[in-house]
Amino acid sequence: MRILVVEDEVKTADYLSKGLGESGYRVDVALNGLDGQHQVQEHEFDLIILDVMLPGLDGWQLLQIIRRKLQTPVLFLTARDAVEDRVKGLELGADDYLVKPFSYAELLARVRTLLRRGPPREVEQFQVADLHLDLLRRKVTRNGERVTLTNKEFSLLHLLLSREGEVLSRTLIASHVWQMNFDSDTNVVDVAIRRLRAKVDDPYQLKLIHTVRGMGYMLEAQS
Amino acid sequence: MRLWPRALSVRLAVMFALVSTLLLGLIGFSLYQSLQREIAWRDDQALLGRLERMQALLDDSQSIEALRSRPQLYENMLGNRDSLLWIIDDAGQRLIEINPTLMPLPVLPAAERATLGDSPSSEPLRLAWLDVTRGDRRLTLIAGKLLSEREQMLAAYRLKLWLALSVGAFLAFGFGWLVSLRGLQPVRQLAMRAAAIDVQHLYLRLDEFKDVSELQALSKALNLMLARLEDGFAQLSRFSEDLAHEMRTPLSNLMGHAQQTLARPRSVDEYQNLLVSNLEEYDRLARMIDSMLFLARTEQVDASINRQLVDLHELVEQLCEYFDGTAQECAIELINKGSGTLVADPQLVRRALANLLANALRYGIPDSAVTISSSLYDGVVEISVHNFGEPIAAEHLPRLFERFYRCDPSRNQPDDSGGLGLAIVRSIMHAHGGQVRVTSTQAGTSFSLLFPLDSA
Repeated sequence: MRILVVEDEVKTADYLSKGLGESGYRVDVALNGLDGQHQVQEHEFDLIILDVMLPGLDGWQLLQIIRRKLQTPVLFLTARDAVEDRVKGLELGADDYLVKPFSYAELLARVRTLLRRGPPREVEQFQVADLHLDLLRRKVTRNGERVTLTNKEFSLLHLLLSREGEVLSRTLIASHVWQMNFDSDTNVVDVAIRRLRAKVDDPYQLKLIHTVRGMGYMLEAQS
Repeated sequence: MRLWPRALSVRLAVMFALVSTLLLGLIGFSLYQSLQREIAWRDDQALLGRLERMQALLDDSQSIEALRSRPQLYENMLGNRDSLLWIIDDAGQRLIEINPTLMPLPVLPAAERATLGDSPSSEPLRLAWLDVTRGDRRLTLIAGKLLSEREQMLAAYRLKLWLALSVGAFLAFGFGWLVSLRGLQPVRQLAMRAAAIDVQHLYLRLDEFKDVSELQALSKALNLMLARLEDGFAQLSRFSEDLAHEMRTPLSNLMGHAQQTLARPRSVDEYQNLLVSNLEEYDRLARMIDSMLFLARTEQVDASINRQLVDLHELVEQLCEYFDGTAQECAIELINKGSGTLVADPQLVRRALANLLANALRYGIPDSAVTISSSLYDGVVEISVHNFGEPIAAEHLPRLFERFYRCDPSRNQPDDSGGLGLAIVRSIMHAHGGQVRVTSTQAGTSFSLLFPLDSA
């Protein structure tokens, strides 16, 4: 998968290309709009990450140029999260946006979603190591034993399982599980994870829910 | 072209002049009318008197012939050029005619008694006539008066009236202008005083014009406005100061910690610790900036909110679920007594209540309950969050909703909202046209959100 990052802030461009590279993507960087336009015309990309404020040719103009020929998914980054800006970006044909400062885990999650072509499969059974979740019967077992969860614990586990191996930020978890779409300064998510762990992880040898310090939580069978 | 003058004094003078003209005109017109009627009445009486005297002369004289031969008997009676007299017999013979302007003989209907009327001829002429019988002869006596002299007099009078009217209007304008200029002097003083007040001098106040009641009201209102502005301005500058201060603390943590770590080689663990600790500070900064932006947007006058019908029990239940774990860890029971519906922005109400609940859980004492209840009275929907705990000191209550206000400045817990949580609650309530109230006693602390019902 090849990703183009058009970003004039060198530090941002640097950590984005390093991070995405570590996640297994091939990353090209353009430090201004004109260079970005040139790259888009020369090569084929699976995803373009576009900063809106660029010298020379700004992000909106570049987006229009891209959309004249290509349907490559575009994720735009903006420091101004005025509603008009977001609407403008989406109207011009961008696929998603992130407002600076964004968490890196959030960016990675968005990139994965955009690169997952086609509608996501409706998965009804999840299996990670000896943990099994049945969405339709609302049943969770670990090592064959039934685990009883509350509604919200079930939603939380379902979210972690459906994004297996991805780091999920606290904000994302709060908005998916409780529909709290604002940055909460409470430890609600940590408490919920702790309680879920007590039922799903603590009695067992193999730990599946991991804390990624400073970023969030992840479910994965690490050996 | 602007017909209506800009200056208030000129406007007043013009209105003054218009009113004076109208009044003078009305008075002049009615005086003129009554004068005209008076003159006409006196002329008519004179004509009638003349007819009577003619009749008396006829009674005295044995015949018309004798009368005709004694012209002095009536000549001295006439004496001037605008009086006319005819005596005509039934054959139409003019027995006596005094007619210096040679007016044609008017044709008149028969009259048994003295009759008054205007002559239909071209020259304005007032007539009185009477039919009398002398022996076997029927005679018609006609006395007349030419009105041209009267017309001239009245025309001169009219001209004088018009002149007086124009001079009066002109004087009224002039005096009115002077009076307005003088009367508006305090307004100019007020303007000068107001012009002297700028950002550096917001503490200045306008003189209270105690002897001019209109200006007193105006200057009072302006002074109140100034007080509010000064307040807002002071809050704004205090706020930027606080903001700078609030950002300084995490920044100095970041810088100090990083410099201290870089001073010598460390283990990977230590570097990781540094980065994680840095991230926590970054998070704090990012949240603070988000909250600031949120405040700035909700406090905009034209901030648009997305009103919907909200089921209060459902909304509170959602929040209780959200805080369920935290509450259990503090051994606090969450009680949902919400009921009914509300038209409001569900996202914003949720956020406001989440902030209040987070505080209630933070300051509630263990093994007690936090109750969320709702009630409807006097066109207000009230949602209250009550917790048991140490009462908040009375001096803090009025300032609790200010940004960055902390009851205890030294307390800066990592999980606290950076001093913006309650400010956000207040701005959300303002955006809904409502307000937030707090009471704190030994019986616990209660925050109430008051939504006016008619704000939708």
